[in-house]
Amino acid sequence: MQATMTQPNARARRERTSFKGIGRAIKYLTKHGRQAVLPYIFLIIATLSQLAVPRMIRYVIDAVTSGFLADQVLQALENIPAPFMSAALPQILDALGYDSAWSLEQLTATLEADLGNAPQALMTALVAILVFALLRGVFSFLQAFWAEKNSQSVAYDLRNDLYAKIQQLSFAYHDKNQTGQLMIRATDDVEKVRLFIGQGLLQLVGAVILLSGTVIILFSSNVALAWTAMPILPIAIVLFGVFASLAQPMFTKVQQKLSTLNTVLQENLAGVKVIKAFTREKEQQAKFRAAADDTMNQSIAVNRLFTFLFPLVFLIANLGQAAILYVGGKQIIVGTLSIGAWQEFSLYLMYLFFPIMMFGAIVTQMGQASASADRVFEILDAESDIVDKPNASKLPAVKGDVKFENVTFRYVGGGDPVLKNVTFEAKSGETIALLGATGSGKTSIINLLPRFYDPVEGSITIDGHDLRDVTLDSLRSQIGIVLQETTLFSGTIRENIAFGKPDATLEEVQAAAKSAAAHDFIMSFPDGYNTHVGERGITLSGGQKQRVAIARALLLNPRILILDDSTSSVDVATEVHIQAALETLMKGRTSFVIAQRISTVINADKILVLEKGEIVAQGKHAQLMEEEPIYAEIYNSQILSQQSEVSS
Amino acid sequence: MMHGRNILNQETIKPRNLSETLGRLGKYFGSFWHMIVLAVLFVVISTWTQVASPELMGQATDCFLVPAGSSAFAQLAPPSIDQTQGSPDSAQETVSSCWLGTTEDPSTLSFSRQIIYNAYHLGGYTTPELATATDAERIEGMFRLILVIIALYVIGAVLTGATFFTMAWTGQHVLRVLRVEVFEKLHDLSMSYYAEHEAGDLMSRITNDTSAIEQAFSFALVNVFSGILLLVWVAYNMLTASLPFALLSLAVSPLMFIATVWFSGQARKAFRKSREEIGNVNAELQETISSVREVQAFNRADENIEQFKEVNAANRDANVRAVAYTSALAPTLEALSYVGLAIVTGVGGWYLLTGDTLFGATVTLGLVITFLAYVQRFNQPIQQIAVLWTNIQNAIAGAERIFTILDEKPAVVDKPAAKSMTEINGRVEFEEVSHEYEEGVPVLDKVSFTAEPGQTIAIVGPTGAGKTTIINLLPRFYDVTHGSVKIDGVDVRDVTADSLRKQIGIVLQDTFLFSASVMDNLRFGRPDATDEEIYAAAKLANADTFIERLPEKYETVLGERGSGLSQGQRQLLSIARAALANPRILILDEATSSVDTRTERLIQKAFDQLLEGRTSFVIAHRLSTIRNADMILVLQAGRIIERSKHDELLAKKGFYYDLYMSQFKKQEEVESPPL
Repeated sequence: MQATMTQPNARARRERTSFKGIGRAIKYLTKHGRQAVLPYIFLIIATLSQLAVPRMIRYVIDAVTSGFLADQVLQALENIPAPFMSAALPQILDALGYDSAWSLEQLTATLEADLGNAPQALMTALVAILVFALLRGVFSFLQAFWAEKNSQSVAYDLRNDLYAKIQQLSFAYHDKNQTGQLMIRATDDVEKVRLFIGQGLLQLVGAVILLSGTVIILFSSNVALAWTAMPILPIAIVLFGVFASLAQPMFTKVQQKLSTLNTVLQENLAGVKVIKAFTREKEQQAKFRAAADDTMNQSIAVNRLFTFLFPLVFLIANLGQAAILYVGGKQIIVGTLSIGAWQEFSLYLMYLFFPIMMFGAIVTQMGQASASADRVFEILDAESDIVDKPNASKLPAVKGDVKFENVTFRYVGGGDPVLKNVTFEAKSGETIALLGATGSGKTSIINLLPRFYDPVEGSITIDGHDLRDVTLDSLRSQIGIVLQETTLFSGTIRENIAFGKPDATLEEVQAAAKSAAAHDFIMSFPDGYNTHVGERGITLSGGQKQRVAIARALLLNPRILILDDSTSSVDVATEVHIQAALETLMKGRTSFVIAQRISTVINADKILVLEKGEIVAQGKHAQLMEEEPIYAEIYNSQILSQQSEVSS
Repeated sequence: MMHGRNILNQETIKPRNLSETLGRLGKYFGSFWHMIVLAVLFVVISTWTQVASPELMGQATDCFLVPAGSSAFAQLAPPSIDQTQGSPDSAQETVSSCWLGTTEDPSTLSFSRQIIYNAYHLGGYTTPELATATDAERIEGMFRLILVIIALYVIGAVLTGATFFTMAWTGQHVLRVLRVEVFEKLHDLSMSYYAEHEAGDLMSRITNDTSAIEQAFSFALVNVFSGILLLVWVAYNMLTASLPFALLSLAVSPLMFIATVWFSGQARKAFRKSREEIGNVNAELQETISSVREVQAFNRADENIEQFKEVNAANRDANVRAVAYTSALAPTLEALSYVGLAIVTGVGGWYLLTGDTLFGATVTLGLVITFLAYVQRFNQPIQQIAVLWTNIQNAIAGAERIFTILDEKPAVVDKPAAKSMTEINGRVEFEEVSHEYEEGVPVLDKVSFTAEPGQTIAIVGPTGAGKTTIINLLPRFYDVTHGSVKIDGVDVRDVTADSLRKQIGIVLQDTFLFSASVMDNLRFGRPDATDEEIYAAAKLANADTFIERLPEKYETVLGERGSGLSQGQRQLLSIARAALANPRILILDEATSSVDTRTERLIQKAFDQLLEGRTSFVIAHRLSTIRNADMILVLQAGRIIERSKHDELLAKKGFYYDLYMSQFKKQEEVESPPL
């Protein structure tokens, strides 16, 4: 399985058509069953309420206008002198749209009914509006809230899964993937997925319901008017499409320009001393000005685009209103449409337009979310090449006999093997010093022992057990590691020492610290073992860190030890302490030491001299000095010259 | 079109001195005043179109739509339908009478209405007698009206676009000016500023803060201005049309405003908490992912996963709490706007029906329609303004941060009468030099020494003794607190920093290279160097061999910060760069991080070459350097405690002797093999 990261943008473009990632992310949502459906139910209620309001407004207006009209006509009727009535009546009935055969009494009765009912109808409709408004408000809130809540649960699950996976993936994976990249996937990418699964999906469904509901209502009330409003849809869609396709590349360009600008800025901030030293300020300023101009011009170009298209979009919406005004107006004049219906249309028109505007945004969001989902699942799908065998047994309490037999190893994607046919043996309690130039294979040997990698050929055994046959847990808990680069974690000193054995008692921790010559300086802190270290605590010096690391390894009481005995620049006194601590550490344990110190080399039970992945010499110091010129040369150039560093 | 949720998630930092900052910022925009005047003009006109169109909708109703159906019997009955025309009670012109059609003397209309009136009657059109107009005439009349409405929409759209562009254009130009100004300021500032301020923070100010200012001014400010203008204009129209009706219709609006302010306030508080939590999640991720090897080595995966779950859950819960507020805002506003509509239709409708006057004002259907449109337009900006105001506040706070940088006085400045440094011979004198980075904490205490031209001075001592300070003072990265540094008898403060630094070469421990080609990086030492000179410098520094082996040799482009090369290779390039500059004085920090032996030797040889013939100051780490130095300065706690050549110092059996013994003894044994 490919473990490499690819450029996010390239990936996004390629993956645009595949929505598998989003589909799997949605499964995280549906896992919650009823809770997941809840927002959608609320959505339906909220949308239906929203659709009802313009209709209610129409009822209000119609009730009012018919009542008003009835009032006017009744007054007018009273003013018509009796002799003219019979002649006028049919005309009046015709103008009002009633059956011309009606009698005056019938007309009067209808009109009075209209007038009488009007206030009632008005009140009912108003109350209905208020009720629907309330429903809309409440369910709108519930829908949004639950959608967000669910999406947060999805994000929670995704992050937990990602975290667990990352922790368990092997070194080979982490060699290829930087922390920063992985972090972005766990934070930004998960967030993008969450946004879509929460709001985006819901809005999408909501927009579809609103749009189709509106279209249905429009067509069922007044076909002619509905057709007048319809052209907005395709026009708006086309417009958005054009807009998006033009804007996208321009946005990318702006990002690029900004990125260049930032690079110049960053370099100037980081290298300000060099720039000042070489008096290159003017040059850099010219560079920055050019980049700033570039960015400005590109941004203005984008704005120009917006200037044309954005108002155009709103103009289309308004033209729709104008069209409705005209067609509707004609119908009102001719008498086939009521004023209430006309207003209703006007309001529904907004419901047509809104979803379309949302579609654009949602589709973009979906694209991004899909790309992000793919990146997230890329990690979740990654296979670790170092796993426990199906029936791996526990490694029993180790005595400490280690054997490398014909071990060949290469890093994934690396060319030549870094270890070639390496064979050696270390008996329990022996100190094995590893010597060789950079890249000779020393680090690989100590990486293979705790099974951070597997050899390509050959085998490594501890007390006769092949490493691949035992569980990783049981193996690693019996190997202590102290390397040159010590990482401590934010927590108390006690927690750090107890890193490998969290349930260690304070006595055990202190004992380990004492052996590591760390106890004294730890007690010199006001909080002692409870002193916080790391980001939100104090920073320990290099030498102090190293001793804590030694204590950490000592606590495990491992039978096998891996260590790099160099010390980062420390003063003489600390030097001595660390030396003593290391000696304590190595006593009685099978130790593999990347040797820098003379004392280590001289006292080692076996020295392995490595060159280009092969053991070129094995033996004790005195013997090697005599017999192996290679050893002598390395000893002189490396060991002695390392010691010549004047502490600064 | 702002997404409410996102805006509420931003931190609101209140500016400390609003008016002062605003004034200062205004000066930047001042140079573009003509654009701003133009933009204001556009906004006014486009807002007018937005205010005028509801009125026209009302006119459509009152002039053409309502009287429909009543024309049939208008001839049969005395005209009492058109209540307003000629009625002795309505001496004041009620708003929604059909002034478009029936006004005798247009000059009695308000200015705004006159424009519309004239536009409507363009071409000599006369409105028909409304009481007796035929359907066809009404339709024609309405059609003309719609044309005017469309014209208004078009003008509004065009001008909105023009406003947007104008302000964006201006904003971008101001942004550019600001960015360049801050950048150039950064170069002015001295090393002490950089020691005290985080690079990340500076980056953020120049990129994010300037950007926030641009957005606030080109978008937020314009929208807030036009929004307020619209509000005020609409409110005015409504209130003058019918005070009581207007008050009732607008009753909801203050509630909307309060709701916006309250919800967003609560949301912001909640989001602050959620930001803390995500910070924790980030920290947890950062720490454990970067040290995953340790985690696996110590079998800590399970514990870490449990720990992470807690932090993750805290983040989730904080977000959900915040979301409760943001989810409530939009629905509340929407519901309130529906209530507003209900009030308009209800109140208007009631009075229309009962025929009563609403506190003395007549309500016509047209008025109701107009008010419906007004109310919709009124409620829109309220939400926007509350949200955009946050943007503006943030931007002004950002401007303050930027001005802080611009106001910073550099610690090292050229004296007004500073001359150019003449060609340096190389005699360096430190006379009773004391230096304090922080007041009261001397790092150097009365340090005095003289270096003759061409000498190599090695500086040794424990950490914090003051070695780095000495070499910082020479090129005037800092100015001394007391005493003086003289080169060829000239106090360095009397010459320009530029002329001084041009003649001093520096090779530091932390090599900085640019993401440019090797050639360009080398040329950095002296821009006018010929290619041959560059190759020669590379050869001198023993860098030519590895450069020739690079994929594109000298044209190979280095990665960010010069990545792609090993530490040793970077050092070699750095030496070559300094060699090219051919300085008379050289400053060198020898401390090397782990490089392989072979490269180490190359570097050593390169350094030796570089030191030849120049007055050099070396923070020494190599045996050969100390041995060959013309003078060794032994520093401790800011004082020179011993100075001499190597052998003499050894003979003294003092501090140097101890230092040497514990570190170099073994190397000596190599020279004369043991046994």
